[in-house]
Amino acid sequence: MRLAAAVVAGGLLLIVVAAMPSRPQIPSGREVVSAAAYVSSDPVARGSSFQVAVVMKIRNGFHVNAREKSADYLIAADLRAEVPAGFKAGDVSYPKGELRIFSFSKKPLNVYEDQVILRWELSALANAPLGAQHIPLKLRYQACSHEVCLPPVTQDVDATLNVTATANASRPAHPELFPAQR
Amino acid sequence: MKKTVLIVIAVLAVIVVAAHYADKATRLSPKGASTRADNPNGAGKPAPDVTLKDLDGKDVNLGQYKGKVVLVNFWATWCDPCRVEIPWLIEMQQKYGAKGFTVLGVAMDDEGKSVVAPFIQKERFDVNGSKSPMNYPIVLGNDAIADKFGGLLGYPTSVLISRDGKQIKRITGLISYEEISKTIESQL
Repeated sequence: MRLAAAVVAGGLLLIVVAAMPSRPQIPSGREVVSAAAYVSSDPVARGSSFQVAVVMKIRNGFHVNAREKSADYLIAADLRAEVPAGFKAGDVSYPKGELRIFSFSKKPLNVYEDQVILRWELSALANAPLGAQHIPLKLRYQACSHEVCLPPVTQDVDATLNVTATANASRPAHPELFPAQR
Repeated sequence: MKKTVLIVIAVLAVIVVAAHYADKATRLSPKGASTRADNPNGAGKPAPDVTLKDLDGKDVNLGQYKGKVVLVNFWATWCDPCRVEIPWLIEMQQKYGAKGFTVLGVAMDDEGKSVVAPFIQKERFDVNGSKSPMNYPIVLGNDAIADKFGGLLGYPTSVLISRDGKQIKRITGLISYEEISKTIESQL
């Protein structure tokens, strides 16, 4: 009898723990997107071009406005950097968004969901500093769920690369993100 | 012994049911404005003593609305669901404004007046077929103001305040026009 009582109590305790309210249901804007930067070559040779891919992983149930926003007043995804001396920045290419209708919008909105990759063309100039270098990037976005919008966020993303004097040692890196160089 | 088992089961059952409803009350459903989060936090508490700036730079103290039912609506010009609500808020102001009610729009744009003032001046909203400007007072908010309201999880967030200055209802996400109208009417 005592054993039965213990089993019943233990089982119910497990149910209680499972049913307890978990952490807050609405994350902050910063928690909605995790972003990381990857460089297409390792090392990067002086005088060569390379790409930086910024992978944005967007939490399930949330979206961010795509670069091509659906209305003037929306805040579009934006990637910027103050490129250090010795590097030259080209254009950022943003992926196309997906047109989605949300409970709060009358017309479809062009948004990013799940995972998107932003790509930036850069060049290491002949005078690029050698060794480990950092390119500090700033990723700005504004996220919403189906019901609520979160304040815009600017996340710092660090692109790290190693610069060499000659192209001999330079190898393609992260082929899963830079398939053209396979 | 049997009695002990029954008591344990009863207590745990109560906890399970309470936990279930507590969780449901705070959970955001993936779709549908009708299932937005109604956050009871702060309900019954006095409204915070806050002073905000209007678009002319004048102080607006929340306390000056004591005696009125106030719907404090935190919004931003870039917030799409906030724009959905604005025509409803205009209509509520038209309908209940003379009966001792007001909406107080708290604009949370980081850029403040420089974006909010042109928005108010330019934008017109479809209210029952006619294009209407925002007809309720707008003030400029910031994180410190939001903190005094217990912090905001997102926009829009609305807090309904009774005539005697108590927080009655707090809604994160789109309000339900019918539901909030009923609550306002019950307070007037």
